[in-house]
Amino acid sequence: MTAPETAAADAEGPLARAPGAGGNRLVLALDDCAAMTVRNVRKVLRAPDQVSFTFIAPIMFTLLFRYVFGGAIRGLGHVSYVDYLVPGIAVQQAFFSSGNAGFAIADDRQKGFVDRLRSLPMARSAVLVGHVAATAVFTAVSLVITTLVGLAVGLRPGSVGGLVAGLLLGLAFASAVSWLFALVGLYASNSQAVNAITFPLIFPLTFASSAFVPTATMPSWLRVFADNQPVTLVIDAVRDLLIGDIGPAQRALLFAGRSTTTLVVESLLWAVGIAVVFGVLAVRRYNATTS
Amino acid sequence: MGQAAVVVDALVKTFKGGVRALDGVSFEVPAGTVLGLLGPNGAGKTTTVRVLTTLLRPDSGRASVAGVDVLAQPELARTRLGLAGQYAAVDEMLTGRENLLLVGRLTHIGRAEARSRAAELLEQFGLTDAADRPLKTYSGGMRRRLDLAAALVARPPVLLLDEPTTGLDPRSRLDLWAVIEALVGGGTTVVLTTQYLEEADRLADRICVVDHGRVIAEGTAAELKAGLGATAVEVVLGDAAAAVAAAELLVGVAERPPTVDGVTVRLATADGLHTTAEVVRRLEPAGLGVVSLQLRQPSLDEVFLSLTGASGPATDERGAA
Repeated sequence: MTAPETAAADAEGPLARAPGAGGNRLVLALDDCAAMTVRNVRKVLRAPDQVSFTFIAPIMFTLLFRYVFGGAIRGLGHVSYVDYLVPGIAVQQAFFSSGNAGFAIADDRQKGFVDRLRSLPMARSAVLVGHVAATAVFTAVSLVITTLVGLAVGLRPGSVGGLVAGLLLGLAFASAVSWLFALVGLYASNSQAVNAITFPLIFPLTFASSAFVPTATMPSWLRVFADNQPVTLVIDAVRDLLIGDIGPAQRALLFAGRSTTTLVVESLLWAVGIAVVFGVLAVRRYNATTS
Repeated sequence: MGQAAVVVDALVKTFKGGVRALDGVSFEVPAGTVLGLLGPNGAGKTTTVRVLTTLLRPDSGRASVAGVDVLAQPELARTRLGLAGQYAAVDEMLTGRENLLLVGRLTHIGRAEARSRAAELLEQFGLTDAADRPLKTYSGGMRRRLDLAAALVARPPVLLLDEPTTGLDPRSRLDLWAVIEALVGGGTTVVLTTQYLEEADRLADRICVVDHGRVIAEGTAAELKAGLGATAVEVVLGDAAAAVAAAELLVGVAERPPTVDGVTVRLATADGLHTTAEVVRRLEPAGLGVVSLQLRQPSLDEVFLSLTGASGPATDERGAA
């Protein structure tokens, strides 16, 4: 027998500790969240097929709209189409990326891994938080890729601060939305079913928005939807932060005259509202179900 | 010893759609012993394990693990138990070592302890060479061993093994049995569900036969066989007509009339020796040409089939509850 085995054989009693016992509950819970985030990121990196779309799509969409459709798009005043386009693609791709949280949760459920986790004395919230956090890591990568491709094809942000603020706002919104997809992942019968649900949800919300063309060019019935849904609001806020000061005439044209503060605050309210509502529903669903 | 490490008391669970998976199942497992929960698919074995591991709340009844009520203090109960499941609930994208380290971290045993436990278990389960390969490269048997190792990281006093060898080839099954036997020698209390009578016979100190969500028989393997009262006396004759004639002569020898199957006459009896003597006394003067006379103990399979036979193949439709 080797030395460690002898030592272990001498040890008495169970080693496991509950999150509430003999330690700071919050510290242990945060450590559980960190452990699950690392595990989830590692898992995705070893089988990147699901997430690869998150990295390739921003390149495809940017090139497609910049060079194929972009020449035909008018009505932007002094703003160049690439400056208009990149914030739209960034938010759209972040939205797509957030769907991976649901896929990953359904996959863990399907494979019985969630059952193993539920039998451990870990913080239960760490299972969902770990998936949302790992998804945020890949969403951030997707946003950086979108920005780099944008810069390569002519994007000129008003300021570095504005660019970073815009990307962080997009990340915050996508992370809130990933709680919605976490809930989908908890209900879906398998991981493929999550994809079947996320695509029909993401497409109308991101295409019937101000992502690629000003909503003013849409038929009125569609415009009512596009102008009043949160994805348009968030794209406008990111666009405003990224482009920088554009003057009242341009602001009236592109943002219906709303101020930067209004756009950002309303976007954050949506993000918080979505995160709270779907976060609570997802946690309740997770605690109530068994697999 | 002697004190119950696992108590299951009158558990009832009805699933949506009205399937009554548990219908008052009760048993106790003395510390340091192995209980085999034996039953067909859908008998309620897995549902019972899910209640014990806090994965499922029953509609009524009580259960405790190492003295902790799993319904009142589920979080504490989870520090006392290890679960290894029929679905090999390990992460196939992580390596063997990473899986064990993750469980160590999530059971809060401390990083140094987690590292030494992982190395120790990989060694003990013969997985050291494969330790740093992703699980997707493991064979079925290796995966089950790692699943079992994951359940043992925090050295739980109670181990729940849900069909640990289902789907394994015979050699991997033998390997895993050896591992489980070694564990039990270390004083761990084990609840083992299985469909394999051989497995229960070999690993379990006591066996509960479960069907339709309740315990229908309980005891050691020997007790179950004896309790059935079914020592079999089998007489083989030269032809079917002789068998029918012999059966008529043997009416009243045992509690129930003999059965005829081709050239074989079969008698189930509590007292094998007496019955055999009586069979010889009656058949010898008749000159029917006895080919063979055999007295034998029932196999556990026969016990099992006689206890659960009524439910038969229909139980399959209930699936793994």
